Amino acid sequence: MMKLKSVLFALILLLFIGLAGCGDEDAGADNNSNGSADGDDQEKVTLHLAALESAYGKEMWENIAANYEAANENVSIELTIEKNIEEVIRPKMQAGDYPDVFLLATDREQALTETMIKENALENLNDVLSMNVYGEDISVEEKILDGFTDTLATNPYGDLNTFLAPMFYSPTGLFYNAALFEEKGWDVPETWDDMWELGEKAKEEDISLFTYPIAGYFDTLMRSMLYAAGGPDLFNAAMTYEEGVWNTDEAQQVLETVEKLAEYTHPNTVANANPNDFTKNQQLVLDNEALFMPNGSWVVGEMEEAPRADGFEWGMMSVPAFEEGADRYAFTFFEQIWIPEQAEQKEAAKEFLSYLYSDEAAETFLEAGAVQPIDGIVEKLEDQQQLFYSIYEEGALPAMGTFASTEPVPGASISDELYGKVDSIMAGKITVEQWQKDLEDVSGKLRPAMN
Amino acid sequence: MSKKMSRNIFITVCISPAIILFTLFMVVPTFEVFRMSLYNWGGLSNTKEFVGLDNFKILWNDMNFIQSFQNSILLIVLVAIITLVLAVFFAAILTKEKIVGTNFFRIVFYIPNILSIVVIAGIFSAVYDPKSGLLNSVFDVLSIDGLKQMWLGNHDIVIYSVAGALVWQAIGYYMVMYMSSMASIPASYYEAASLEGAGKLKQFTSITLPLIWNNIRTTLTFYIISTINLSFLLVKAMTGGGPDGSTEVFLSYMYAQAYGNSTYGYGMAIGVVVFTFSFVLAAIVSRITKRDVLEY
Repeated sequence: MMKLKSVLFALILLLFIGLAGCGDEDAGADNNSNGSADGDDQEKVTLHLAALESAYGKEMWENIAANYEAANENVSIELTIEKNIEEVIRPKMQAGDYPDVFLLATDREQALTETMIKENALENLNDVLSMNVYGEDISVEEKILDGFTDTLATNPYGDLNTFLAPMFYSPTGLFYNAALFEEKGWDVPETWDDMWELGEKAKEEDISLFTYPIAGYFDTLMRSMLYAAGGPDLFNAAMTYEEGVWNTDEAQQVLETVEKLAEYTHPNTVANANPNDFTKNQQLVLDNEALFMPNGSWVVGEMEEAPRADGFEWGMMSVPAFEEGADRYAFTFFEQIWIPEQAEQKEAAKEFLSYLYSDEAAETFLEAGAVQPIDGIVEKLEDQQQLFYSIYEEGALPAMGTFASTEPVPGASISDELYGKVDSIMAGKITVEQWQKDLEDVSGKLRPAMN
Repeated sequence: MSKKMSRNIFITVCISPAIILFTLFMVVPTFEVFRMSLYNWGGLSNTKEFVGLDNFKILWNDMNFIQSFQNSILLIVLVAIITLVLAVFFAAILTKEKIVGTNFFRIVFYIPNILSIVVIAGIFSAVYDPKSGLLNSVFDVLSIDGLKQMWLGNHDIVIYSVAGALVWQAIGYYMVMYMSSMASIPASYYEAASLEGAGKLKQFTSITLPLIWNNIRTTLTFYIISTINLSFLLVKAMTGGGPDGSTEVFLSYMYAQAYGNSTYGYGMAIGVVVFTFSFVLAAIVSRITKRDVLEY
């Protein structure tokens, strides 16, 4: 009997140790953080920085952290840099453990940033803009290039309040093989009419005019087209879900142009337009099987190792104009950095943000190929990058912004309707009329939910 | 302490870790899914709004959801039937017929099952490639251009391409299961049957099938569960739900709504429907296939 009792006792003990073991880690971590916050040195803060590990790599963030810690001894920085950053951070955030600074752009599949916007869970960054850049005599606002802090991508509620700061930017446009154009003696088209003409010429040589990696890449293309068709007025009307905007002549012109583009699109495109095979579509341009694709300057790095036609040379042009001599636009894609409202060290986080715009930080980022929208950056770029970033100096107008934020609306996604439907347009499954109707429907659902 | 009581305590202590873990990680989250489906919530903040059954009302009219539901049902039905027929067929051949290399075939059939679904997505995106893919190349060699297709680009057939990959990976697993129960059928039954003049087909329908029936019933439930789960993984990795939602299955739509569209509560409402649907379907299938178990 005694034996059984002691076995029982041991088992129960084991069970409790097991259960307590699960909770141990948290308890320990809590003690630590309390220790650092209430310790003898009141100024000492630990900043938690989370960032997406993109094509620029992890190292630049490590360097930034080291440099900042050297410049500001009261701060130590804890980094979480992951390719699947949403999956790593989301559970922590749900448990109430928020990073202090987060670099994560909108328009990503998991839409964590959009969720933060929709839930009004971001810290207002207006005071960061008026703050002086860390260690410099110029304010952050003055240093950031014009136009970057008054778009819906930085001021998601459509007012003067900035909640997301622009970090790494990249011009987007139509990418092509410049060497092929030279070899064939073709001119780079300036209007859509030129495009169709070139499409016919290319057809004779068994080359398709157009391809796209996945339908989502139409975001930058169609936004540029909206700007070109109806200027900022049309663009903003579309982005704020104005009633009837998709039935206007200008918007219809954009949609019809996409439909016409279907005739000139490489036949394999839709079959490869999925997350597994999209590089095969990009390969079509490298192999001279298709002339143009919408993309951003990151494609150069993405396809670095891929085989290509002899003498291949990247070229990029802004989206063609609808009429001779009319405005042409190149959409600027940029990643955003933001502070969650629930962050513990907001003041330190804001100071750190201002440091990110300093010359020292910009140089560290540049080494990894990441370009920030700050004064004088273009001159510091290498040749090929300069070619892309100087597109605005050659007459293209910058287009920026994204759809206005709304409260979450179940089952209504404007990007699914606008970009996702492109696959169906390309396959001739739906008409422009149907597309317009769907867009109006979803705009109607989102309009009343705007923040 | 009486012997019976100490025995009960011992049993309680032994099963309590399992009970606690099961409650904590299965019962509570399931209950949470049902609860969250009644809220309007983005998934991160503390602002949850109770909306009752509103999410389900919206679901009822959401054409994208209905399309994804249709796709899921089509996949479940197609994959279950085709896999069942092929797996039973191959299992019968490999157990009953004396062919060279039985073990070799058994391994070959089983290999897809140990591959990760992402690898399978990679393999099939190579098979379905419009330019250099296996399928189109074979049709090219045989000069039947009419059969060449955009396997992942044609809205009307892409869901069958997904089904093909799912069948391919499932056959081996179910085949091995059927083989094991076929192997335990005494050989004397077949000898007696052949002495009575029963042909191979008659032997199969009158001996093999009734005696492995219980096994088949169990696997029908497996087909439902595994197709629901694996179709989500495969679609995520291979087609991304495209082109334009034509391969979206209900779990991938749930994921898109819960995360991509910041409507976590709505996603959970889809979860509730999927949960209920799979339970009910499994129950129905189990009920209509019920036969008296034959003892031997």
